[in-house]
Amino acid sequence: MPKDKNLEGKEVSGHISRRDFLRDAGLVVGAPTLGTISASAAAAETAEIALPAAAADPGSQPEFIQIELTVNGDVYRRAVEPHWTLRQLLRDQIGLTSPKDWCGGYGACGSCTVIMNGRPILSCLTLACECNGATVETAEGIAKAKHPIIQAYINHNAFQCGYCTPGFVCTAKALLDRNGDPTEADVRDALGGNLCRCGTYQQHPLAVIEAAGNLKESA
Amino acid sequence: MKTWKKFSHIDARTVEEASSVLRSGKAALISGGTDLLGIMRFEILPTHPEVVVNLKSIPGMDYVKEENGMLRIGALTRLEDIAKNELVRSRYTALAEAAHRTATPHIREMGTIGGNICQLNRCWYFRNPDNRFNCFRKGGQECYAWGGDNRYHSIFGPVKLCIAVNPSDTAPALVALNARIRTNRRTIQAEQFWEMTVPGSTVLAVDEIVTEIQIPTPAAGTRSAFNKFAIRKSIDFPIVNCAVMVGESDARICLNAVFNKPYRAEKAEGFIKGKRITESTADAAGAEAVAAASVLPGDRNKWKIPIAKTMVKRALLACA
Ligand SMILES: Cc1cc2nc3c(=O)[nH]c(=O)nc-3n(C[C@H](O)[C@H](O)[C@H](O)COP(=O)(O)OP(=O)(O)OC[C@H]3O[C@@H](n4cnc5c(N)ncnc54)[C@H](O)[C@@H]3O)c2cc1C
Ligand code: FES
Ligand code: FES
Repeated sequence: MPKDKNLEGKEVSGHISRRDFLRDAGLVVGAPTLGTISASAAAAETAEIALPAAAADPGSQPEFIQIELTVNGDVYRRAVEPHWTLRQLLRDQIGLTSPKDWCGGYGACGSCTVIMNGRPILSCLTLACECNGATVETAEGIAKAKHPIIQAYINHNAFQCGYCTPGFVCTAKALLDRNGDPTEADVRDALGGNLCRCGTYQQHPLAVIEAAGNLKESA
Repeated sequence: MKTWKKFSHIDARTVEEASSVLRSGKAALISGGTDLLGIMRFEILPTHPEVVVNLKSIPGMDYVKEENGMLRIGALTRLEDIAKNELVRSRYTALAEAAHRTATPHIREMGTIGGNICQLNRCWYFRNPDNRFNCFRKGGQECYAWGGDNRYHSIFGPVKLCIAVNPSDTAPALVALNARIRTNRRTIQAEQFWEMTVPGSTVLAVDEIVTEIQIPTPAAGTRSAFNKFAIRKSIDFPIVNCAVMVGESDARICLNAVFNKPYRAEKAEGFIKGKRITESTADAAGAEAVAAASVLPGDRNKWKIPIAKTMVKRALLACA
């Protein structure tokens, strides 16, 4: 069920075929730079896929790739540029601002964590164009579903400024999805890639273990 | 905030197709992207790929199985899946521990074993954004670390004037376990897989792609272990790491983050082979492992030598 309630994605434009790219890059039959041509590359000529013309001329017009993904249960269809990150897509195109940017995209803080296909991943180091068909969950979705992790974080004051919190919540929820009965060591291990400048570390295992207990009770 | 240089993107459907795009010399392969995207976004190299070729769109490259007397791991297997795999944990322990100690949980969920062994070396001059230091490793004329801050650099000297270290956690485990790396062209012994190039870290040709890791199943009674010293328990790259495999009459010891490529400590292996591993023999093996170590100008990396010695000792003791 497509639900484009937020910002509209840009119109798809300038698609070229896989064949065009392979030709322009000197990769198809007859190209002087290449002695042999693999059967699969030749076969690839026939298929049309959404491929930006910038392949041949990186300075040219922005090019878009059409993707469809499920975010917090809603299906979104968007046209993305190859260099857009998943975080950019979620924040600027879909309007979900819980994935944060703290370390600047070095993969070193976890504030941009979302759950993709069941795995806690960094949306700053994920290309949006590689998320076609993916199922993504953000802190907004976890809160909307009234997952007990949210109340447990409140109960245990597991945040101060709150900037790191969506990343922690996503990581913790992904842990609980896989391990309904985590030990303190399990929680510390799983949250090891999330930094908190306010130093709330001690509270997180308490909150996650309480949420696990509540989940078991309600099961 | 830094913006991206533009590039195009192709979802490869076969390894051959990915390889044929790489042959243009203008493309880069992406697996998990945790190393590549940082390099591209921060423009650490003088040139930028025009095309990024995605391997993840190729089916069937993500598996862990034991057959025909070996463990076979698909190049796209995520580190977290290797770390959690019971088979790997029980019989190829050093690799499971190495995968588990790599980076952060998120990066292990994204990062693949193929990408882990092909990542570029670490040196903060080399990795500085916007190619601020156009060093030897980028085709430049100078090594900025040699006379600069080289506290994390090689303790076994330079290779072609470069003192950056190979930071992979899984690499020493693969060398210790006597693994083979399969590519679309050939099979390479792990020990021969790494080599300094400009700017690469492996012997792979421009269109060569790692497809599988193979590890011979160790004989019964063989043990292996991995140890890592880093500033923090999570997130940080190794200052020094070490993997060992010890059998009845055999021992293989490999350090990493101490040299341009994984460093096999052959003297230490010779010393410990056939001996009972005790506090004192493990300590002596550690001393053998760093016997050839040397300090860089400025003495800043001297602290890594006793750490390397201790990593060897602890990894051996874990197999006792
Ligand atoms: C914050 C942070 C901390 C880190 N800490 C550690 C650490 O402690 N230990 C450690 O070992 N690493 C660490 N890393 C480095 C590394 O990114 C990951 O370990 C990861 O395994 C790389 O795999 P990937 O699939 O993401 O690689 P990618 O980024 O996709 O690829 C890395 C390189 O290998 C090439 N490549 C990828 N797959 C193949 C293939 N199949 N055949 C040939 N070439 C290929 C790519 O073209 C690229 O040049 C860290 C990274 C970050 C960002
Ligand atoms: S923003 Fe820091 S890990 Fe993504
Ligand atoms: S609550 Fe402020 S950064 Fe974690």
